[in-house]
Amino acid sequence: MNVIKAKSFTENGLDTRRKFSFGSIGVWTALFLLIGAPVLCFLTLGVSPRLFQQGPEWFTLKYVHEAFQGFAGRAIFNSLWVATVVSIFAVSIATSMAWVIHRTNIGARRFWAVAMWLLLLLPTWMMTLGWTDLLQPVGGLQALGINCSYIYHEFFGPLGIVVVLTTAALPFSYFIITAGLQGLGPEFEDAARIHGANKIQTFKTVLPIISPAILSAIAVSFAETISDFGVADTLGYHAHFPLATFILFKAISSYPANFSVAAVVAAVLILSIVPPITLQSRVMRKNTFAVLSGRTRTPRVREFRKGPRVLATTIVATVFVVAIGVPVLGAVMTSFISGQSFYGGHLHLTLLYYREIFNPPSAGKSLGTPLLLSDQLGFVVASCTGAFAVVMARRLVTKVGGLSQRITDIFLLGSIAIPGVVLAIGYIFFYNLSFITHHVINLYETLPLLIIALIASSLPGQTRFMAGPVSQIQPSLSEAARVHGAGRFTAWRTTNLPLMSRVLLWGWLLTFTKTISELAIATILFPPSQEPASVTIQNYLANFNTGAGTAMTVMTLLEMLGIIVIALGIYRLVTPRGWRRIGWRGIQS
Amino acid sequence: MKLTTLKLNGLRKKTIAVSAALAVASLSLVSLTAGAASNPGFVLYSAQGYDQQAVDAFNATHPGFTVTLKDDSTGPLLTDVQAEGNNPKWGALWVDGAIPFAHLDQIGMLVKNSAPKVAFNTLGKANLPADGSFSPTGVTETGVLCYDTAQVSASNLPSKWTDLLTTQYALGMNDPSVSGPTFPLIAGVFSKLSNLPFNATTAQVKAAITKGEAFYQNIAQKTQGGLVVNPTNGVTLGAMQNQAVGMATIQGSACYSKTLGSYKTLGEKYLDASMELPGVIGIDAKMPAIVRADAAKFVAWLYTPAGQLAMRTGDPTGDSLFWPVVGSTLANPIIPNITTTNPYAINPYTWAPYETQINNWFDSNFVG
Repeated sequence: MNVIKAKSFTENGLDTRRKFSFGSIGVWTALFLLIGAPVLCFLTLGVSPRLFQQGPEWFTLKYVHEAFQGFAGRAIFNSLWVATVVSIFAVSIATSMAWVIHRTNIGARRFWAVAMWLLLLLPTWMMTLGWTDLLQPVGGLQALGINCSYIYHEFFGPLGIVVVLTTAALPFSYFIITAGLQGLGPEFEDAARIHGANKIQTFKTVLPIISPAILSAIAVSFAETISDFGVADTLGYHAHFPLATFILFKAISSYPANFSVAAVVAAVLILSIVPPITLQSRVMRKNTFAVLSGRTRTPRVREFRKGPRVLATTIVATVFVVAIGVPVLGAVMTSFISGQSFYGGHLHLTLLYYREIFNPPSAGKSLGTPLLLSDQLGFVVASCTGAFAVVMARRLVTKVGGLSQRITDIFLLGSIAIPGVVLAIGYIFFYNLSFITHHVINLYETLPLLIIALIASSLPGQTRFMAGPVSQIQPSLSEAARVHGAGRFTAWRTTNLPLMSRVLLWGWLLTFTKTISELAIATILFPPSQEPASVTIQNYLANFNTGAGTAMTVMTLLEMLGIIVIALGIYRLVTPRGWRRIGWRGIQS
Repeated sequence: MKLTTLKLNGLRKKTIAVSAALAVASLSLVSLTAGAASNPGFVLYSAQGYDQQAVDAFNATHPGFTVTLKDDSTGPLLTDVQAEGNNPKWGALWVDGAIPFAHLDQIGMLVKNSAPKVAFNTLGKANLPADGSFSPTGVTETGVLCYDTAQVSASNLPSKWTDLLTTQYALGMNDPSVSGPTFPLIAGVFSKLSNLPFNATTAQVKAAITKGEAFYQNIAQKTQGGLVVNPTNGVTLGAMQNQAVGMATIQGSACYSKTLGSYKTLGEKYLDASMELPGVIGIDAKMPAIVRADAAKFVAWLYTPAGQLAMRTGDPTGDSLFWPVVGSTLANPIIPNITTTNPYAINPYTWAPYETQINNWFDSNFVG
């Protein structure tokens, strides 16, 4: 290590001789323009509405007081406890599932890993739509003659909100904890067992070793949950259970809009991520968790006997049936069941709604053009985000980053808690400033601004997603290439790229699919006459065209799956065989 | 082994070529609009169901400039308008309800006397502001009692607003802070219950608000779940289909459209007042003169036979079900003569200042 420091290289090959390199300035400028400036503009409205011609006061705290009163105050409280409960549930379930899937011989291990990816790609508004379609009194189950009114009333309340949000947070926790488990060789479990520990005691002994991953998963799950709008707008509203993101949205979408209260609520959401980050930092500072080494052995798979194996497989299958099966089944059923079924007493299946997708009724819109636009947006956003996320991930995992690294970490984690609607409105306030539109660049109401906002929305999550795999790459690889005369890019291309090719591919697919289903930013920033698919679908659903809207949702999901299959196929054709054998694995078994 | 020396076979090369072509095609999105033309046209922010047909018809016959449409729900469009503030991008705004326009007029965002000099009929004149800062393009009604005959008996339905206090059925309605047509409905109910004059004094309005709030509180407390609130017309109709509620006071055109569509058991009834909800268009005062002139041409065209035809036929099961405001243009025969619906007009300038207060009260009592 001393030798490396003498050469002024970090473990990831970064030159540390210059404290303030042009690269650092470039990265922070980009982050400022992408996230910092728009969000700051919006948050400033909470205390100074006059700065953006939204009220008479240059400085006031009255909106802070207003945000904590009555309805809004209750919503903030609800969001905080729901996010706490959800993050605990999600991490508990994810830890158990990660261990069972990766460390035991349960059935269909590879399939469950694929299913977790599918769950990650499913947006919460689609999940809620599926649950609603299935359970509502005039829904899929009722059309089949199954009375589900009791479950319906229970589900449309805090219970349903926690269930849907837990299933949405589950994959984030799962992938973080899976990465942590990979560095955990069998020697720790063996040591515990040798000293007489039973299986539960062994688990309790080993668990603290992966506490950095667990704490990171809690922080990310908390941030993802507290910033979710899809569930707040649907289940939360109908259950008379207000959540902060919905209050924020209402304050913005009312007329006259109350941007100042919305800004205060947004600030509370962003600040609420501080406790999980602080907890994580304190634990990390107190103890050392360095268990990874070049001699870490491949984890041993526990062999269940037949009975426990069937039981464990059934439990895992049940989790996925609840998380993916029910909502997808609900959406698919509704898209094929005619509205007549609910009155005539007989089940009428129809393809009418699928015909309406591309041949809509007179005033409706076809899904074709919006979906094509969404695909293009997804392609550009995923590619740009992927490139930027690699740069950010390298900065995040550098061992000598110091204060800058910690600020980057907190900035990115805090950014996950920024609701999409806040980012979008912040973009209007910043990029539509008279000075910027007249003297710098006029981007407002153009596709490039929508693209930039979508990149800003994806970047924090994507960076954290890539940080784990990037940290596992030995810096000696690129150092060796540099010693042999390779330039920085050539060294990265010939050493890191093969190892990272799969994480880049899965990261690209994740951003691509999330971009297609993204709603909050698209609704506010789409340019005239260029409507993305998510906005078109939502307009159908909001205007009581549930059948066509649901069919469009199913078609969009199928299209996403198709793109994933094509992308994986291209990867297989284009990359050398060796690339597929090394480095991070998207689907591990 | 040097990776650069790996040989790619033919298929791999073709795949890379196709992928690269797709990438280049997608990158075309990044290009910005070309420099300003001599007449840039204008952007129309609209929530009307027939707006695309109207814009297409106008652009096809007016080659001098192009109207670019931003079609969305009323809420997001008004959010954009407010967030854009003094650097707006909209040339004209076209949504249902005059109250937001009254507010925009009061803060100097609308071109005064922009209403075209056309032969407005009685309905049009009733919804035309004195300073001509916006123009009614058609009238629908909100506060129409929409009901499901599978759940409620038509003979037991109320006939007057005050009958809602004694009817056995729960009442559905929309959330005024989400649904554009709902604040005019509430303002109309408050106004009707106190028989307010069109130009009521502040004291009269405040008294009417107190009485109106008590009215809705009583409906909500009449039975458990006496008032069922959903965000918008579509969701309220969905709740009715789900049998969460048997009747609701919503926008009439939403109720007709479903009578024509798949919801066969839906019916509508007019109480002793149905609040007029004009479709309104206004021109942005902050735009350059050329843009304002273009927008004025489009507004004037809407009242021509071609414009009226596009509006009447563009969304035949939805927003096209309006009562015209010019000359002797006929409404769609599906909707009744407006005189049989007990039309009731409110003064948007009177009620605009109370929108935030009333919406906050409603949310605190019936949404949370």
